[in-house]
Amino acid sequence: MMAYSEDHIALAAEYALGTLDADERAQAEAMMSVDKDFAAMVEAWSTKLGALNQMVGSVEPSPEVWDRIKLAAGLSGVQMPLVLPEAPPPPPAETAAVEPAPVPEPSNVVAFPGPVRRWRTIATAMTAIAAALIAIVVTQVVRPDLLPDSIRPTPRTQVVEVKAPPAPAPAQYVAVLQKDGGSPAFILTVDGATRNFTVRKVGDTAAEPGKSFELWLISDRLGPPRSLGVIGAGDFTARPTLASYDTDIVKAATYAVTVEQAGGSPDGKPTLPPVFAGKLIETVPQAGR
Amino acid sequence: MIRNNRTAAALEGLAAGNDEGLGTLMLTPAELVWLIAAVAKGDEAAFERLYAATRAKLFGVVLRILRRQDLAEEVIQEAYVKIWNSAGQFNPGVASPITWMASIARNRAIDVVRKRTEASIEEEPSAMEVAADSPDPLARREMTEELKRLLECVGRLEPDRQKLVLLAYYNGWSREQLAAKFETPVNTVKTWLRRSMMDIRECLGL
Repeated sequence: MMAYSEDHIALAAEYALGTLDADERAQAEAMMSVDKDFAAMVEAWSTKLGALNQMVGSVEPSPEVWDRIKLAAGLSGVQMPLVLPEAPPPPPAETAAVEPAPVPEPSNVVAFPGPVRRWRTIATAMTAIAAALIAIVVTQVVRPDLLPDSIRPTPRTQVVEVKAPPAPAPAQYVAVLQKDGGSPAFILTVDGATRNFTVRKVGDTAAEPGKSFELWLISDRLGPPRSLGVIGAGDFTARPTLASYDTDIVKAATYAVTVEQAGGSPDGKPTLPPVFAGKLIETVPQAGR
Repeated sequence: MIRNNRTAAALEGLAAGNDEGLGTLMLTPAELVWLIAAVAKGDEAAFERLYAATRAKLFGVVLRILRRQDLAEEVIQEAYVKIWNSAGQFNPGVASPITWMASIARNRAIDVVRKRTEASIEEEPSAMEVAADSPDPLARREMTEELKRLLECVGRLEPDRQKLVLLAYYNGWSREQLAAKFETPVNTVKTWLRRSMMDIRECLGL
């Protein structure tokens, strides 16, 4: 662990302190997922600094938070009222009356009552909302559009609206993969329903001769990075390789690009730290505008 | 010992005071380790107890950073879902349970504030007010050895840098916010932060 440069040590320390900007945090997270020693260094810092939390006073959150956690975590307890086998089928009119009123929470699919399995089909639920494909043309991923709807300010002019599909469309997601807050190198778009994705090269990004760019999905729920395949030499590469992952994982993951030997990493693991990384941003649903 | 007084002075107005009754609400670390192990096996009752025992602490930490009840509750929700999903990864040899959990919640809170730069500028005045409260710092006898040791190392920094590090940690301030507070260029803040962390590292023997 001592072999790290002062830059790496400072990155780990400032990650734990919290002073990195959003891009630097994404970089540090990508490094943590491919480099165990770096992750251990960050954890050591978090633990040391964590002692400071002893000085922070306790504050009670509101009681509904627990209900939302139970739903979002998929605890079985929350389904019980819905699976009572002996409940007589109520007359239709009454059904409507008994139906829980929708929680006035603009964005949070978590608030839907019902089997947690529905969580998995979040993308399907979203087909009710027409989504617009947004191309992010900012050089920094630091945008308020990253926030959940409930706290998201009205989209502003840096966001270029490309097209709103006429029929109810699945949610679309975009990630800008970049290095150190520099210019974007790749733009990753993911279709919320099929989870097909497209990687678009930006500018003059090109792998050195004899090397390939490989795309990885990094999720703390999956452990080691998962390869999504080599990025082709053309401007666009489209693949269905995300389809086997849960929507929740796809939405929350970090996407990173490494330079590998031609044709990709021989053993399915990244051989070097990522050069570009980013996270998916859910595009603004039409209903929200 | 002089430096401890200096640290206490730097802490004054930065950290909210220790709640009375905190000790009775919180379980011991050993109990929390046991609960997390049960949570890792999918024990929902244990998860509910873990939540009951730790929610107010975690909420206090993230509310201080986010300054908004709704945002803080959203972050707490996400943090506990992550705790539920990753309880198996908790290593009691590395961190105490509450430190591990608070770090998950705090990281999420920092992610949220870093991604809403515009909004945080207008919120700065309220964050400044927080920095101006002067709750009682923990009595020294109530501090863990880890905290005493860390404060000793923070206390060796120059007074301004002590405050810089503590404001960054407790309020989750960005370099830009710190630069505004200290009326100094962002690059200077960057250098100070880096230097301070290196000094703390050396002092802690990390």
